[in-house]
Amino acid sequence: MNGAMNRREALRQAGFMTGAAALWASLPARTWAALALPVGWTLEEEHLLTLIGDTIIPTTAESPGAGAVGIGRFIITQATECYAPGATETLRRGLKEIQGASQQLFSQTFPALSGAQREQVLMTYEARAAAPWRMIKELTLLGYFTSEAGATQALRYLPVPGGYQGSVPLGKNERSWAL
Amino acid sequence: MANHPTTVGAQEHTYDAIVIGSGISGGWAAKELCEAGLRTLVLERGRDVKHVEDYPTALKNPWDLPHRGKLPQSVVGENPIAKKCYAFDEATEHFFVKDREHPYVQEKPYDWIRGYQVGGKSLIWARQTQRWSRFDFEGAVRDGIADWPIGYDDLAPWYSHVEKFAGISGNYDGLETLPDGEFLPAWEMNDVEKQAQGKIMAAFPGRHVIQGRCAHLTAPKPEHYATGRGQCQARNLCYRGCPFGAYFSSNASTLPAAARTGKLTVRPHSVAESILHDGATGKARGVRVVDAQTKQTTEFFARVVFVNAACLNTNLILLNSKSARFPAGLGNDSGLLGQYVAFHNYRGSCSATMEGFEDSYYSGRRPTQLMMPNFRNVRKQEAALDFQRGYMVFFGASRRGWQQGNGTKGVGADFKERITRPGPWGISMMMQGETVPRKENHVRLSADQRDAWGVPQLVTSVGYHDNDEKVLKDFHARGEEMLAAAGAKNIRKNDSKQNPGLDIHEMGGVRMGKDPRTSLLNGWNQLHACPNVFVTDGASMASTGTQNPSLTFMALAARAVNHAVAELKKGNL
Repeated sequence: MNGAMNRREALRQAGFMTGAAALWASLPARTWAALALPVGWTLEEEHLLTLIGDTIIPTTAESPGAGAVGIGRFIITQATECYAPGATETLRRGLKEIQGASQQLFSQTFPALSGAQREQVLMTYEARAAAPWRMIKELTLLGYFTSEAGATQALRYLPVPGGYQGSVPLGKNERSWAL
Repeated sequence: MANHPTTVGAQEHTYDAIVIGSGISGGWAAKELCEAGLRTLVLERGRDVKHVEDYPTALKNPWDLPHRGKLPQSVVGENPIAKKCYAFDEATEHFFVKDREHPYVQEKPYDWIRGYQVGGKSLIWARQTQRWSRFDFEGAVRDGIADWPIGYDDLAPWYSHVEKFAGISGNYDGLETLPDGEFLPAWEMNDVEKQAQGKIMAAFPGRHVIQGRCAHLTAPKPEHYATGRGQCQARNLCYRGCPFGAYFSSNASTLPAAARTGKLTVRPHSVAESILHDGATGKARGVRVVDAQTKQTTEFFARVVFVNAACLNTNLILLNSKSARFPAGLGNDSGLLGQYVAFHNYRGSCSATMEGFEDSYYSGRRPTQLMMPNFRNVRKQEAALDFQRGYMVFFGASRRGWQQGNGTKGVGADFKERITRPGPWGISMMMQGETVPRKENHVRLSADQRDAWGVPQLVTSVGYHDNDEKVLKDFHARGEEMLAAAGAKNIRKNDSKQNPGLDIHEMGGVRMGKDPRTSLLNGWNQLHACPNVFVTDGASMASTGTQNPSLTFMALAARAVNHAVAELKKGNL
C-alpha cells in the first residue's frame, strides 16, 4: 500500500513538473489534438486550458491526467459547438480571471507556476463560484471521463456487461463504472 | 427483405392488405396478416432501417462520438422540440424526426416526438411493458370517461400471444392491479431498492413495489433465437438500436417474421396521404401515397387497410381521407374524429439520498426499474380524493459516478481519487399519470398550411386540466411519504412542467366504443362506418390507463388481425 502511495505521489510530482511542451509531445493519436482548433483561438489559450484541466485531473499512479487526452482542445471545441452562444466569451473570461488570480497570488503566469501553486490558484478561483469555473470543470470532467484513458484507466469500463447483478460487494479499491 | 414496387398499374399495386406504418403496432399487424397468408404491403413514410446494418452508433465507445454524446448547437437549434426528448442525443438523433422537416401547428404547446423510418419509434421506445388490468377498463367506464367495448378478458389471450413472441421479462407478482403475463426471468433489484421495497410495502399495505417488466430477452427461448435475436447484454444503449436484437423492435422481430412468409412488401419513403373510399361498396379500396422523395402520387389497393401511423398521424390520415360519403374524414359520422386525445402526465418526480450501503454496488446496466401499480381510485372513486383516476410510480436507486465531481469542490489527485470511487446512493421516483380524455383536447387539419408533400399540417390543441394538477399534488405527497418510509433523506419534489406530448404516450382521437354516435371504432378496432379499415395504434384508445401503452397496442393489433382474417374468410369484408 505504501509503495503504491509513494509511486502515485512521485508520478503526481512528475506530472506537476512536466511543462506544457511535454504534455503536447505525449498526446496519443485520436484525441482532440488531432482536430482543428476552432477559429479565433490561439495555441496559447488552448495550452493554458490544458494545464488547467490537467491540474483538476492530474496524472496519478493508475491513470493519466486530463492533459494527456488533449483536454484544452476538447473544452474549446465543446464550448464552441455544443454550448449556447456566448459560452466562448465566458470561457475566455475564465482564462483571464485565472491568469489574474495567478498574478495576484504568485506574481507569475499560470503556466510558470509549480503544480502546487496551480492547485492553489484554482482553489482560490473555485471559491468565487464564477460561471466560467463551473463550465471549465464540467467540461474537464466530461472530456476526461469519456476519453479512452479516463473511462478505461481512471474508471472501470464494461461496454458489454452481459447481464445485471443487483448486489455486488464493493472492494476497497474499486472504482466506479464509466457508464 | 424489402421489395419496392415501381410499376404503376392496378394489378401490380393490389395486395390483400395494406398496413400504414411499420412501428410497434404496424409491425404486429404485418406479421399477423402475412402469417395468415395475406399478401401485405407495409407503407412507411421514412427511410429503410435494416436491423443491425443501419445502427451506425450501436457499438461506439463514448470517445468515438465527436461530441461525447452531446449534440452540437446547430442540431439543437434546429430541433427545439426533439431536443427536449431524453433519448435524443449524438448517438441517436438519426432515428428522430427533425422539427424543421415536419412542421405542425401548436395551438397549445405540444411536443410531438416522432420517428419516421422502417421500425418507427419501436427503435427508440422505452420498452416497458405492463398489461392493463380489468380495473383500467372498468374504472374508466365507471367514471364515465370512456365507453370501452372490451375488457381485460378480451385482451388477455392476445397479451399472452404477443408477450411470448416479443419476450417480456418480469416476475409473477400475482397482482390484480397489474396482471402477470408470459414472462422471461425478471431483472434483479439492488440492495437499496430491496430495502425500499420492504419498508414501503410494510408501511403502506396495498402499495406494491415490484420489478419492472420490459421487452428484453433476459433468457431467450428457441423461438427467439430462431428469429436471430439474442440475450440482452445489459448495455443499456438501446436507443441506438440493439445489435443483439435483444429488445423488441419491428426491425428485429415482427418485420423479419413477416418477411419470412414471403408475403411481405415494405415500401419506405411512402407518405400515406389518404385512404380511398368506394362509395359503391361502402368500403375502403386502398391508399393514396405520395412518394417522399419524388413527390409523385401513387395508389395502392387492398381488401383491408390497417392504420398504424402512430396516434396523431393516424388521426391526420383519417381526417384527410375525405369523400362524398365522409366529407369530415373517413368513418367520422360521430364528428368526434380527432377529439378526446389524451396522454400520460409525467410531470412529477421525487429524488432523495440514501445513507449507508457503502460496501454495496451493482454490475451491468439494467434496462428497467421498479414499478408500483396504480393504487388510487382502483375499485371505486375514493371519497377522500379530489381527483379522478390515478398513476403508476417508477422507482430506481443507484450510486453516483464521476458526475459527482461537478458538485464537489477541489482539484488535483485527491479530488480525482474521490470522484472516481462510487459516490453516495440516490433514490428517485417518477409518476405516470392517467389523463382524462376530453373533447377539447383535439387535433385537426390546418385550413391553410401544408407540409412539403402537400398534406395539410396537423393542428394540436391538447393541454393539461385541473385534474392533472391534483394528481401531481397527490403523487408528490405520497412520493414524499414513501421515500421517507424507505429511509431516504433530503427528499426533493420536482415538477418538470413539461408540455403534453413529451411523454410520447399520445392516445385517442379515433377511440373505440360501443356506441357509434360517441366513438369511431368498434370492439374489434374496426371503423363503425367503414368495416374494412382497422386502427390498432394509440389512436384507438378510449382512455389511457397508467401503464406504458405499447404492449396493449400490440395485443389490440394481433387481435384485430385475427378478426379481420376471419371476416375476410366469411366474405364479410
